[in-house]
Amino acid sequence: MARKDLLDIASLHREEIEFLLDQSTSFKKLFTRSVKKIPALEGKSVLMLFYEASTRTHSSFEVAAKRLSAEVTNFNIDHSSITKGESVRETIETLQAMRTDYIVVRHGHSGLPGMIARQTTASVINAGDGAHAHPTQALLDAFTIKEKFPDPRGKRVLIIGDILHSRVARSTSTLLQKLGVEVAYLGPGSLVPKYGPATIPRFTDYEAAMAWAPDVVYLLRVQLERQDVQFFPSVREYHRVYGITNTRLAEISDRGLYIMHPGPVNRGVELCDAVMDYERSLITNQVENGISVRMAVLDWLTPGGEFPRQEAYATPQRASSTVIMP
Amino acid sequence: MLLLQNTRIASENSPVLLESDVLIVEGKIQDIGSSLAIPEGARVIDARGRVLMPAMFDAHVHFRAPGFENKETITTGSEAAINGGVTGVVMMPNTRPALDSATAVDTVLENATHRSRIPVYTSGCVTKNREGKELAEIEGMRGLGVKMLTDDGDTTADPAVLLRAMQYATEFGMFFASHCEVSELAGPRALNEGVMSYRLGIKGSPACAEEIIIDRDIRLARAAGAHVHIQHVSSKLGMETIRWWKSRGDVKVTAEVTPHHLLFIDEHIGDYDTNYKMNPPLRTQADCDALLEGLIEGVFDLIATDHAPHTPFEKAQDFISAPNGITGLDTALVSLHHFFVEPGKFGWDLVVKRYSAEPRRLMGLPVAAIEVGQEANCVLFDTAAETTFTREFMKSKSQNTPFIDQTLKGRVDLVILGTEILLERE
Ligand SMILES: [Zn+2]
Repeated sequence: MARKDLLDIASLHREEIEFLLDQSTSFKKLFTRSVKKIPALEGKSVLMLFYEASTRTHSSFEVAAKRLSAEVTNFNIDHSSITKGESVRETIETLQAMRTDYIVVRHGHSGLPGMIARQTTASVINAGDGAHAHPTQALLDAFTIKEKFPDPRGKRVLIIGDILHSRVARSTSTLLQKLGVEVAYLGPGSLVPKYGPATIPRFTDYEAAMAWAPDVVYLLRVQLERQDVQFFPSVREYHRVYGITNTRLAEISDRGLYIMHPGPVNRGVELCDAVMDYERSLITNQVENGISVRMAVLDWLTPGGEFPRQEAYATPQRASSTVIMP
Repeated sequence: MLLLQNTRIASENSPVLLESDVLIVEGKIQDIGSSLAIPEGARVIDARGRVLMPAMFDAHVHFRAPGFENKETITTGSEAAINGGVTGVVMMPNTRPALDSATAVDTVLENATHRSRIPVYTSGCVTKNREGKELAEIEGMRGLGVKMLTDDGDTTADPAVLLRAMQYATEFGMFFASHCEVSELAGPRALNEGVMSYRLGIKGSPACAEEIIIDRDIRLARAAGAHVHIQHVSSKLGMETIRWWKSRGDVKVTAEVTPHHLLFIDEHIGDYDTNYKMNPPLRTQADCDALLEGLIEGVFDLIATDHAPHTPFEKAQDFISAPNGITGLDTALVSLHHFFVEPGKFGWDLVVKRYSAEPRRLMGLPVAAIEVGQEANCVLFDTAAETTFTREFMKSKSQNTPFIDQTLKGRVDLVILGTEILLERE
């Protein structure tokens, strides 16, 4: 059952997911001990390769690796420079030469962690690639939900916001569906694509979505910086139409719904300030659970294997001298 | 002197193959008939069971010279053509510098005559440096035999510029080839917008980005009294748009389809396989089916490969960084045989018509045919043999094709052009 890489949720089997969530529970129990470190990954090296800045995910992985006694290195990336595939390729060659055991990678291009995984012997963990996948976020979301609903089958999660650009929406909804949770999307028509999975109901009206009777309301971060064109008229209008306003929070509270958010929160956009003090907000639980889930993932993966796994670019070009001339 | 015995002759006019001997003398087809006498000194080839057809002509290729000789050169590109049974090509002008002047065209054609064993033609740009702003020196290029004008790779975005170009160049008997895409809708990633783009998390290009320009450019051509040729159509509605305009009959419009748009769909991209990244993007099965329908019906006048080489290094990047395009010359004829002729979806007559005769007519060139008195310009094709598209087999400098290491049924055995045997496989 051992895997080399964790690149997405779609390819994970249900048993693997259950196993990882169980392991996360065990790791979380360690947190109450005075010595939080265990020697599981002693002598192993974890390399952090973040082409997109992310304090939250980055530090969560770093803490997780250190609690497993791994050595953590940050590969410095100049975030102002263009990091296209070609420069990444040079980096991969360097990394392979360093024989690092794990690479935790985040990049704006979908599919790029997979490319690294094929070209190195290291275990590659996708910490978010473009609008494709964010598997550890999905695992920590599922873990957080299972803490409240030990048997989550049949529970309903309403994901609100920018579905089009969200790797969180894709991975979390895929994982929740694998666990028998029902998922629905709500957001502006320009950000909830019609060609998304047919098994996920799609709402553009808040009242209609609430009538679907969710147990959890999951707000996505509005990635204002990611939108190369305007998808909705204004942040104010977004908050009014799709956000959790004070009035809506009162209703959510009455109905006893949980609120989640992958962070960092745009206050006054996805949700009003009062949500931060709402007793059924699971936002800080998500952050805390991120560490144990990532420990479980690191502990589970097995670095090594053949190299190179894809020889495409290693093939030398045919010399032009072999071409027959008249 | 060459005598091909018991071959089966393909022609654009008949679905039935004519079994016959063919005698070629001094580069011309001298005699066709059963049991021809063997002239003294003639080389005899037992071509029993093999199909003899007019050689192919590809009206849409990228040979990357000048400027990108690491991807392809006129020599390697034309050798790839011969390898696939193609004896004439029209290059696209999106080189560096772009072919937007008589000087640039002259240099390329001068090069082509020295570096290629087949005739190589080129199209010219509509606008200077393909920027879509100022008209290229169109008449100067005409003087060098350029007939096709295109900013291929990009749409001439400003309709006023294209309309003026059409009004101007039509007077010189030139025509326009349109790469159809609203860039604001399409984005840079060359993936069909739909289920697959959602799953892969890549911004997709909707089919309407293509369909809008197909319609726009035909309307502009109609207004200008110009001839417009629609390049590499990928969508069902694009095909239907062309069909509708053709049925009206008040504008001269021709169109082409590529083998890869007839064969592959977006789902083939699978786990970000960059060999399936091309522009226009691969779309859905419904689009694919419609394109085949359009080809058989004649909505598409010709098949062209859009042969688009890129180095292994460039294609081995992630899907978003990798460039668009796949090679096509080495593989086109065999793939058409394997996937369409062999299963009976269409006959050799369609292949000859769409991939040999019509492209030559489009360019105003004499049509090759296996007839007495014609120049020998033909391919002997073994329908029972197989071809494995190994890296060694490919003559293109680049090998960015999904067919790499695939084995397909059919083999180009012999390519003859005039007095030269350009290829003989044994
Ligand atoms: Zn093109």
